[in-house]
Amino acid sequence: MSYAYLFKYIIIGDTGVGKSCLLLQFTDKRFQPVHDLTIGVEFGARMITIDNKPIKLQIWDTAGQESFRSITRSYYRGAAGALLVYDITRRETFNHLASWLEDARQHANANMTIMLIGNKSDLAHRRAVSTEEGEQFAKENGLIFMEASAKTAQNVEEAFINTAGTIYKKIQDGVFDVSNESYGIKVGYGGIPGPSGGKDGSASQAGGCCS
Amino acid sequence: MFGTQSKRDLSLEIQSQIHILRPSIHARRANITVKFQDLYGFTVEGNVDDANILNEVREKVREQGRVWWALEASKGANWYLQTHVTSALKSSLKFSALVNAITLKKLIRKGIPPVLRPKVWFSLSGAAKKKSTVPDSYYNDLLIAVEGKVTPATKQIDHDLPRTFPGHPWLDTPEGHASLRRVLVGYSFRDSDVGYCQGLNYVAALLLLVMKTEEDAFWMLAVLLENVLVNDCYSNNLSGCHVEQRVFKDLLKKKCPSIYAHLEAIEFDVSLVATEWFLCLFSKSLPSETTLRVWDVLFYEGAKVLLNMALAIFKMKEEELLTTNHVGDVINIIQNTTHHLFDPDELLTVAFDKLGFMSTNISKERKKQEPAVMAELDQRLRRLNSSNLDDQS
Repeated sequence: MSYAYLFKYIIIGDTGVGKSCLLLQFTDKRFQPVHDLTIGVEFGARMITIDNKPIKLQIWDTAGQESFRSITRSYYRGAAGALLVYDITRRETFNHLASWLEDARQHANANMTIMLIGNKSDLAHRRAVSTEEGEQFAKENGLIFMEASAKTAQNVEEAFINTAGTIYKKIQDGVFDVSNESYGIKVGYGGIPGPSGGKDGSASQAGGCCS
Repeated sequence: MFGTQSKRDLSLEIQSQIHILRPSIHARRANITVKFQDLYGFTVEGNVDDANILNEVREKVREQGRVWWALEASKGANWYLQTHVTSALKSSLKFSALVNAITLKKLIRKGIPPVLRPKVWFSLSGAAKKKSTVPDSYYNDLLIAVEGKVTPATKQIDHDLPRTFPGHPWLDTPEGHASLRRVLVGYSFRDSDVGYCQGLNYVAALLLLVMKTEEDAFWMLAVLLENVLVNDCYSNNLSGCHVEQRVFKDLLKKKCPSIYAHLEAIEFDVSLVATEWFLCLFSKSLPSETTLRVWDVLFYEGAKVLLNMALAIFKMKEEELLTTNHVGDVINIIQNTTHHLFDPDELLTVAFDKLGFMSTNISKERKKQEPAVMAELDQRLRRLNSSNLDDQS
């Protein structure tokens, strides 16, 4: 499938906050409460449209346990966007955001767009982190913020698409040199299918390499 | 008459008669996706060719079984235990032990029959010896001692139980969860430095499926972490795993220089695929019988086997890998390959016969990499600590 741009995203955050579920909800529009634990890296892809231009999002899902943080380094390379996720029902996942952000700042390019997501908004009755706290953290650290639910799909589309919108705007504003792929952006071939066109199409349908 | 049968009928027949499936060439071409259960109860999704390969594997497993039974009949039931030449043995016995050792190595590379696996693994890995050094009640005492205790490890284990091979007919039941929990929690108290590291859940789960008792699975896990694998593989910073990845990278450079050069050029880091391999010991990547064939050799020959397998996977896909332009394509090719390696011999043949002589002294290589890994991990820790101080000030 052809695209005007390809953006690479990574999803980071503590284990069990719902990273894989957010990805599956976005790529396959379904919620699978029980799925295999992510150890290495899993992929998803989907086409979206911004400003009438087809944009392919290639999303990398990672392991979240603390010990794996020393490995995730190579995932950051060439990422244009990051979804930093915490679980609104577990305070400690919010408390760890600063160190996630520190890793992201260290390993990613300085212009990476980061969206902070308070996941599991459907479990508001078990809330341990208020919306205001999320907003405050995002504001202090220059992140976009949203509460979402991978279960009900609330704000999931918006989270991925708004991030892409911000990246797209940065391109328009000339923040990125799009010919340099280390920014996580690849220019497509307009209406002409790219060299890996066939593969891309099937990946976006299946929503991942392992399905 | 396959020729006139509709695809739908055929796929129904495949699902119901998977054991005796021999579809026609038409069916092969139809490339129908079928779901079936493999030898260890895992649901596999593949095409008709994959199903055929699995049937052939079942047949080979039966043949291997006959070879092992014949050896037991001629050499005695525990002949494979007499392979270690000790000074106490007379010289004639030494020779037979040597012969047995050579036979055994070859035989194990061809696969241990599933019925014999629990017994052979338990002896050859050193688990039996480890267990024999403590009182018989050790495992039960451990379980009683840890009952009701809550630690970060137990919390994480509870979180991961349903996420370990979900949908498996035994592992994903209350009974399976409880059993896996006891093994993992028990181990987390036995070695509090390791506690619990994700990846161990997959390893322990597969051990539970193979070993006859939960207690034996526990001892297999213990011998793996304490004797078979590299040190600190599952420590809090995965330092052993980092070392192993660097050793692997160097081996790739030596054994597959063109792949290595290409992957460097597109900035592909081996950790993207090898982390899962080295921490789950391929259980999450390869089909179950293929994984267990790797483990057969792992328990007898040691952790270097994992490097052979990792190299073999890259080697098998050399041509395809050299045409990639992006990191994502490399990961796709590798994951697609591992998920469909239904024929264990396909992998093991490359791993042991097609990579050339592995002259490298692996433990020396590991020692060489350790300082760099430690320095890197230390630097990260200091960076995080200093940023914490900044936040607090």
